[in-house]
Amino acid sequence: METINGDKTEARLNKAELKDLCRRLHPRFWPLLKQRTDEATEFDDLIFLSTLRKRAIADGLAKQNLADVRSLRMAILGGCSLYPLSELLAHLLDTAGFACQFFSGDYDNFVAEIMEPGGAIYEFRPDVTLLLPGVQRCKYSGLLTDPREMVESFASDTAKQLLSLCNTLHDRTSSEIILGNFMLPARRDLGEFRTRTLASDWSFRKCVNLELGLNAPHFVRICDLEFLANRRGALQSEDPRGWFESKQLCSTDLLVDVSREVTQLVTARYLPPKKLLALDLDNTLWGGVVAEDGIEGIEIGDTSPRGEAFKTFQKYIVSLKERGVLLAICSKNDHAVALEPFEKHPEMQLRVADFASIKANWQPKSDNLRQIAKDLNLHLDSFVFVDDNPAEIEVVRQFAPEVTAILLTKDPADYAGQLQDCGLFEPRSITVEDAQRTVQYRSENERQTLLASATDMNAYLESLEMKAAISAFTKLDVPRLAQLINKSNQFNLTTRRRTEAEVDALIGVPDHLCLSVRLRDRFGDHGLVSIVIGRCSGDELTIDTWLMSCRVLKRQVEETLLNEVARRSKAMGCSRIKGIYIKTEKNDMVRTFFSTMGFDPVDVTDARGEYTLELATFHPRPTTIAVQEGS
Amino acid sequence: MNRDSVMARLQTIFDDIFLDPPHLTPETTAEDVPEWTSLLHISLLVTVEKAFNVRFRVGEVESTKNVGEFADLIVRRMKGA
Repeated sequence: METINGDKTEARLNKAELKDLCRRLHPRFWPLLKQRTDEATEFDDLIFLSTLRKRAIADGLAKQNLADVRSLRMAILGGCSLYPLSELLAHLLDTAGFACQFFSGDYDNFVAEIMEPGGAIYEFRPDVTLLLPGVQRCKYSGLLTDPREMVESFASDTAKQLLSLCNTLHDRTSSEIILGNFMLPARRDLGEFRTRTLASDWSFRKCVNLELGLNAPHFVRICDLEFLANRRGALQSEDPRGWFESKQLCSTDLLVDVSREVTQLVTARYLPPKKLLALDLDNTLWGGVVAEDGIEGIEIGDTSPRGEAFKTFQKYIVSLKERGVLLAICSKNDHAVALEPFEKHPEMQLRVADFASIKANWQPKSDNLRQIAKDLNLHLDSFVFVDDNPAEIEVVRQFAPEVTAILLTKDPADYAGQLQDCGLFEPRSITVEDAQRTVQYRSENERQTLLASATDMNAYLESLEMKAAISAFTKLDVPRLAQLINKSNQFNLTTRRRTEAEVDALIGVPDHLCLSVRLRDRFGDHGLVSIVIGRCSGDELTIDTWLMSCRVLKRQVEETLLNEVARRSKAMGCSRIKGIYIKTEKNDMVRTFFSTMGFDPVDVTDARGEYTLELATFHPRPTTIAVQEGS
Repeated sequence: MNRDSVMARLQTIFDDIFLDPPHLTPETTAEDVPEWTSLLHISLLVTVEKAFNVRFRVGEVESTKNVGEFADLIVRRMKGA
């Protein structure tokens, strides 16, 4: 898939693996071919993939999932060579699940081909016709100094002639038409004067393109070559050598863009439209973590460059809502904490009422998305989910695969652009009803009741390949330990704060068990995420501090750490562990932590709880995290 | 680069692209290689221009008769001559 911001993968296509699968007629060939095709950006890579595909078919390698294949008859006509464009299209459409039959017109013969009743194209009966007129058809033949009205009327006629050809073709075949417009010149010819007259190629083509787009009937979709070439760069898009040698429309680079665009236009007819955008909160809609940094600490608004980037992203989301896209929140947070910025922060562009559904809780996001779909009576395949955390994206891809999940780039400056580029919320028309949809869905939502969810969380956790390094406190870690001890509010059993000096003083003290946990998974390193401080007196270890960063909630870090605390305290000669919970305004999340972990309640009130765990009868709790022993 | 090193590099490109790669000699032509279709030829030129960082001039690839002459052309274009 095309990447954004020139963040182009340098990795070259690994041809050997695919060739090997093709030679062995291996069934894994087809899914890998599709994946490589989706990723390919280079013309020659796509041709290689197309060649292999044809070879595999010729050698009799059967495709899977034939039930999903749609048949499609596609005609390509134009004022340029239609080869190898047709080859790229055949490959992209085939891998997108279309069984295509193609008809290619002759070079620059499209007017006759369409006008002549009973011609070859009418025998072919296309479902879709791609018409690429070529720039030689788009030129003002008068003088550069001709009056504007004269040139305007000529531009309008040029557009009308093309649209009238589309009409004729549609009348006779019901074919939908994808009409290419005109690339703008890349050269400096005429200098500044090119903008002062409508008769220059530059102005005239722009004018014709506008006329085409604004007057196209519903069965005509514009393949916007002006836009595509502008996006790639005009010089990189033109190819005079290719024109002279074989009448090529454009450079091979732009040919890839054009064939991808056409494939997208064809595919979009058959895909369910996206209706809802589900959004993460922390580091997606604002910078920072509201539960940790507080409403004053999050980055949103014009006071900082990052804050401005998040604000711009929110503004774009508001514009999507105005186009009729439903919005939802899907965040791991306490509900009240999550809503605070929407209610109180003056710089927020989004408000609670903008959302048709809000799920801020600690359930897996895949479950929450399913719940939103039920609440709003929508299909999951109309959902787009956006998050900055690759692990959350993976949960959704695994357990709610119907949802299109978008992983935000690492730079919030690019968030808005990334969503603008996703191609999922492209309107066909905007109606008043669209804009009122949020209101309807909100009320629908309020009628629905909660339903239990069942997701195989364990399989997901296994797939993360998590590794924990558990070690005693070290000097090097003191700043991070102190930071976590003083910042953690939610997953913090006693909320006992300590200075760096106090943390430092704990190192190497006998009868103390001071452990830190670092967690890694296949997406990367989460760093130091959890801390336990225990004091041993007699045969009892008292948990003075147990806290964890909420980033790794529900990852079984708690279980893994408890197993290690039990093992080590046994080795220190303890026979039981005493756990204490002290209630604060923010740590309700861990109120039942010790009982969940198998501790017995000893003395539990609303404000404080004391629990005990007998080590003699303790069995290590099952976890999917592999523990690497530290010191 | 001389003709031999260009030929060697071309061989690795062919090995990469073709399912049954031909052993290239200066006399090899497209007709000798069943897989070397007109489509693959277009793609091959794009690959070669990228690999050697050269740009062929209009019409000149067509006038090469075999792989040896093609390699000579690459050598000339690499020199910018």
